[in-house]
Amino acid sequence: MPALNGFLWLISYWLIGEVMVHFTGLPVSSGVIGMLLLTATLAVWGRVPSTIAAAAQPLIGLLAMLIMPGVVGVFFILDELAGQWLAILCALIIGTLLSVITTLWLLKRLMGKTHAR
Amino acid sequence: MPANALPDALTATPLFAVGLTFTAYLLGNLVFKKLKQPTWLPAILIAALLLAAILAIIGLPYAAYRQDASWLTVLLGPATVALGMPLYQQMPHIRALWRPLTICLPIAASLAACYALAIAWLMGSSPQILASLAAKSVTAPIAIGITEQIGGSVALLLGALLVTGVATAAFVGLAARLLKIDDDRIIGFALGLNGHAIGTVRAFEISPAAGAFASLGMSLTGIFTALILPLAWRLIGVGG
Repeated sequence: MPALNGFLWLISYWLIGEVMVHFTGLPVSSGVIGMLLLTATLAVWGRVPSTIAAAAQPLIGLLAMLIMPGVVGVFFILDELAGQWLAILCALIIGTLLSVITTLWLLKRLMGKTHAR
Repeated sequence: MPANALPDALTATPLFAVGLTFTAYLLGNLVFKKLKQPTWLPAILIAALLLAAILAIIGLPYAAYRQDASWLTVLLGPATVALGMPLYQQMPHIRALWRPLTICLPIAASLAACYALAIAWLMGSSPQILASLAAKSVTAPIAIGITEQIGGSVALLLGALLVTGVATAAFVGLAARLLKIDDDRIIGFALGLNGHAIGTVRAFEISPAAGAFASLGMSLTGIFTALILPLAWRLIGVGG
């Protein structure tokens, strides 16, 4: 069962992250610490073991489904946020437009220099 | 036999909630394909609407559903760790372009949060709403962790992620034309940095290079924001 073996790796890294958060009080989620540890481990090994790929690939493919129970929650807080929606939508839509333009412009200038050498 | 015996029997185990989630997810994907994959209506939104409608029709309270569905959502932890694998696979891109990326990422990822926070704050949003919007450009599994750390509403965050992702996919093409950018790497990076998974899906439709850079932008934004935002939130003391 290569996938089970890989899944145990993923769970172990998450648990290590949990232990580190517990002892250091870092304001970072255990998942992010586990992810960074996994990246570092793979960089040391220089390849992705087939066991980890067998567990990681399907999990990443199912991410959208894993967040669905949470997404549905937004329909049940619509009333709570009455009167706040205009501010929220303006912030999200105008904020995103501004940040998209900034990212494109900034990276164009920075990569332009790299190209010119 | 009382009228509520059947629903009670069905929801006695988490299997009903899990099955319901699978059904809505698969149906959502099917409808999405039938509609020729519209950018403005992601599959996850169709699936979530279906699921909400089913819950409302059968009268299952959201809190009860969510509790049972935790059999699925607990997998978000290992799934976040799994993102380390694509990140490792992006290493050659990071090495080739480390200089522009190191300068661009902190500025762009901070602004992605700050623009929205400034607008919401100016329009009088409460600290709890600000905390729910702050991680709006971060990929969902990481953003949920951040939002729990800084005390926002995860439900509102996930709604914000949908709006942000769809808006990014719509705006990037427009803005690129305006700024006369035709480099797929730049367009991809902007899609992933601002529009997380939804932007990355859009980037893969443009070209594999755009997709690779979108994954990179998404991962790096997630890590940067996860490391900086909770700390910044604590220092500024927003909300309390």
